[in-house]
Amino acid sequence: MAAADVRDMLDLPAEGQPRPHKKQKVVEKRPEGITRELYALLGERAPPIAINENKYKGRPKWMNKLRVRPWSMAPFTNNARSDGLVLNHWQRKHESARPSVPAPAPAPEESQMEVDQPKEEEKEDAPKLPEQEYAFAKYNVKPRLPNRYTDDEYNRHLKSDDWSREETDYLVDLVTDYDIRWVLIADRYDYQPRMDTQPDSNALVPAKHHRTMEQMKARYYFIAATMLSLEHPPSEMSEAEFELHEKMLKFDPDRERDRKELAALQLNRTADEVREEAMLLEELKRITSNEQNFITERRELYSRLEVPISVGNTTMYQSSAGLSQLLQTLLQADKSKKRRSILGDGAIPSPAGQTPSTAGGLGRAETPVTQAGNKKGSITSKETGQMVRTLTTAEEAKYGVQHHERVSAGVQFRSDRAQRLTQAKSNVQTQKLANALAELEIPVRLFMPTERVCKDFEKLIQSVNMLLDARKVSEKVESEIRVLEAAKMERERKSREAAGISGPSVDPEHPHVKKETEDGDTGLLGHSTASHGNGAAHQSRAQEGDGNHKRSASVLSGASDKSNKRQRR
Amino acid sequence: MNPSNPPQAAEYGGDEVSAIVLDPGYSTTRAGFAGEDAPKSLIPTYYGKYNADGQEKLVFGDDVFVTPRPGLSIHNPIGKDGIVEDWDMAERVWEHSFMSRLTGTKAGNPFQNGLNDVSADELPTEMEVESEEKPLSDSPLLMTEPGWNPAKAREKTIEIAMEKWDTPAFYLARTGVLAAFASGKASALVIDIGASNISVTPIHDGMILKRGVQHSPLGGDYISSQIKAIFKANSPQPITITPHYLISSKSAVEAGQPPQAKYKTFPADKAPDASYRALLEERTLSEFKECVVQVWPGPTRLSAPSPTGVSNEDMARNTPGRPFEFPDGYNQVFGVDRFRAVESLFDAKAAIPDPDSSFPPPTPAQTIPELVKASLAGVDVDLRPHLLANVVVTGGSSLLYGFTDRLNHELMQMFPGPRVRVTAPGNTSERRFGSWIGGSILASLGTFHQMWISKKEYEEHGPNIVEKRCK
Repeated sequence: MAAADVRDMLDLPAEGQPRPHKKQKVVEKRPEGITRELYALLGERAPPIAINENKYKGRPKWMNKLRVRPWSMAPFTNNARSDGLVLNHWQRKHESARPSVPAPAPAPEESQMEVDQPKEEEKEDAPKLPEQEYAFAKYNVKPRLPNRYTDDEYNRHLKSDDWSREETDYLVDLVTDYDIRWVLIADRYDYQPRMDTQPDSNALVPAKHHRTMEQMKARYYFIAATMLSLEHPPSEMSEAEFELHEKMLKFDPDRERDRKELAALQLNRTADEVREEAMLLEELKRITSNEQNFITERRELYSRLEVPISVGNTTMYQSSAGLSQLLQTLLQADKSKKRRSILGDGAIPSPAGQTPSTAGGLGRAETPVTQAGNKKGSITSKETGQMVRTLTTAEEAKYGVQHHERVSAGVQFRSDRAQRLTQAKSNVQTQKLANALAELEIPVRLFMPTERVCKDFEKLIQSVNMLLDARKVSEKVESEIRVLEAAKMERERKSREAAGISGPSVDPEHPHVKKETEDGDTGLLGHSTASHGNGAAHQSRAQEGDGNHKRSASVLSGASDKSNKRQRR
Repeated sequence: MNPSNPPQAAEYGGDEVSAIVLDPGYSTTRAGFAGEDAPKSLIPTYYGKYNADGQEKLVFGDDVFVTPRPGLSIHNPIGKDGIVEDWDMAERVWEHSFMSRLTGTKAGNPFQNGLNDVSADELPTEMEVESEEKPLSDSPLLMTEPGWNPAKAREKTIEIAMEKWDTPAFYLARTGVLAAFASGKASALVIDIGASNISVTPIHDGMILKRGVQHSPLGGDYISSQIKAIFKANSPQPITITPHYLISSKSAVEAGQPPQAKYKTFPADKAPDASYRALLEERTLSEFKECVVQVWPGPTRLSAPSPTGVSNEDMARNTPGRPFEFPDGYNQVFGVDRFRAVESLFDAKAAIPDPDSSFPPPTPAQTIPELVKASLAGVDVDLRPHLLANVVVTGGSSLLYGFTDRLNHELMQMFPGPRVRVTAPGNTSERRFGSWIGGSILASLGTFHQMWISKKEYEEHGPNIVEKRCK
């Protein structure tokens, strides 16, 4: 029965809405190695840790398809042997392509040394299958030894009173056997003179036959050097050979013996001696390290002294904002330098905590601890609570301690304050002040703005200002007087004209007045000085008018004092 | 490493030729294949001898401990100084050591083993019977010997190996050299504490320095005799060791109380020889050495006052004791005595006198520090600091608790100048089988195979070749 038929029977709309999907159950795959029951206990959520056990991973699958390369027990011979001993070892089968390093051809000296072993190697190797050389045969190396002497050579060059021919032979044999390892040669050296065939000589070998290693070395080196020079005369030797020859000729058994005695002494030191030596070494180490420290410290000091004097423009640091910026950059540099901080071990202060005193400490040597009574400064004074002591006025003056009623925030320069005084409200006035200072030969920027200088400067500026004011007033008064006099003269003339008298002296008066007004514009100070000095005696003015300009500069200093006095009056 | 890849030739110097390494000692004989890390076959060198059915029978291997046969007597083919005395029996013991575990018996001749039997009339008439199979005909043999082995003993050894065992190649190496090799050193001062001997051997470039070889009989057996002396003088009552084979049953007793055990008795004609009892007592004593005996750690001697003013002996007395239960159930806590048993290895005056002991009281020259001193005096002065920096400790008795610490202290006191460095493998088997392991390394090296004395060379030059080749 199809679904369509059922729908038809139940009067359901044909293929109305799509059938609801079966809820797909998300089944996580159960990891291997955990039973189903246990896995069910874990519930819906996956465990926070990954369950995977370390399983032995066999060979990768592709490897199983490889053909097993068989090994076989194979016989081999060793070329380093002369007897053709056949041993068995495991070897890869069919391994013709095995990258084996062929043993180097036997060294020439080897053939010299193994003269008694004839060339049977080749004979034996020949019938064997031509397999590769034994891999370890190449390690069979022998040191290069000089040629063995012949009887003739011995008799001509090598005879010695101390060493018999037999003993020399014995020594050279030993050296060959033990590859010039002197420790072993000296250990095994046991030369028995021939005479011990006598039945009587069971006694110990006489002590005079005890040879030290130095004696053996001296004898052997003599032989070796002689044989070397017989082979090649020293003029034809290669460099290495010549060096060896020299070294062997220069061997000094006595010196070697002395050295060994010293070495024995060194070895057999007592514990006290060892301790003393250790102590001395320690002391030496301390001294050298101290010296090193001293040198580095001195160098650092010198480098600080030789700081280049800044010639750059400093105006940007004259405001407090500029200064705090400078402080920031300095601190930054200090931090990045990772050296001992210039602020000491304490934490680097935050920008907010930068009190003027720290800034002053950075900038200048003259650092008055000014803020004793200050609200902000109280923080620092609390920190240095124990350090505070009362100073006498003399001391205060000496150390430059000052007490301020009120201090504005930020940093200010005293010279700045003095500078500000020279700035008047109007440009004209400023100009006048500058002119006055120039006449007094006082620079606008003070050279040494100490407290006292600043105070005096302030006073001076004040008096200059006062002088200027006074002159203004006097000018005003004078001009009024003149106007009034002129008016009076006019009236008098009119009255005289009216009376019929014409005064001839009046003529020069007019141009003079005109001139006076011109002068007032240009030489104000001189004019005022003149006017002050002469009082209001206008009669003499006509005579003096020309000399005014010449006098004013030289008289000025005295004049200003006088003017001050007059002002007081 | 993947086993399917062969090792690179550059990084692996081994080339195994299935050589057998035989390391005969006084107490045990070790044998195994070269290239392995421990001997496969470890048997006591002692053998048992008894008469049964009018025939003399021999017991080898661990079997000697097992059955107390009537009249069983225990012997050792090696003398007290480590040199073979009874060559016939030594050969039998050694043969047993590798035949029992390593080579085994060959598969018999197929003509004779009964599997291919045919009726008698078909039997070929002129069947040659193969001559007796020799045990080592396809394995090279590396044997060890003490540094003071005389030339005659060496020649005898190669004779046995070549003629009796038919080995294709043979080499005789010094135990000291091999122990140094096992520690990875070519130059070393080897201190070997064995059962019958302690020896100090300076090694340079893989060869012993004969003038520096020193040995003295203060080995494990001497320590046993010292322990026995302590037992004899024990304070509540003297302790007698009753070996396990004489105990039928035992019950627990309090510490220090007399044992309550039922003993087995053997009628006089059935009892084993006294040497059998001594062997089994020795087994108990080695257990005692392993569990209780301790070397005074130093830095000063046990008899000396310690830096704090209290004598070392009092300090040792204050350390907690160690209990030990004997086979018969007797048990006791051992205090300072456990230090005294071995003190004479370092301080001859501390030896416990025992008139019954077979060991004469030790002389100062026999103690370990003096041996080292004498040994160093025999070698070149340039070599001494190097040797002191490479002291190798080996041998089973060196496993005594605290031994290497004390040795280190003694050497540092004696030689305050040069640097002293004691190398002692921590692994028990590496310490016990040090020389065997060194032999195993040596005989599996590719470069060593040119050193073997081949049968051909032996036949050419005779047994004297061992003196020329195994220097």
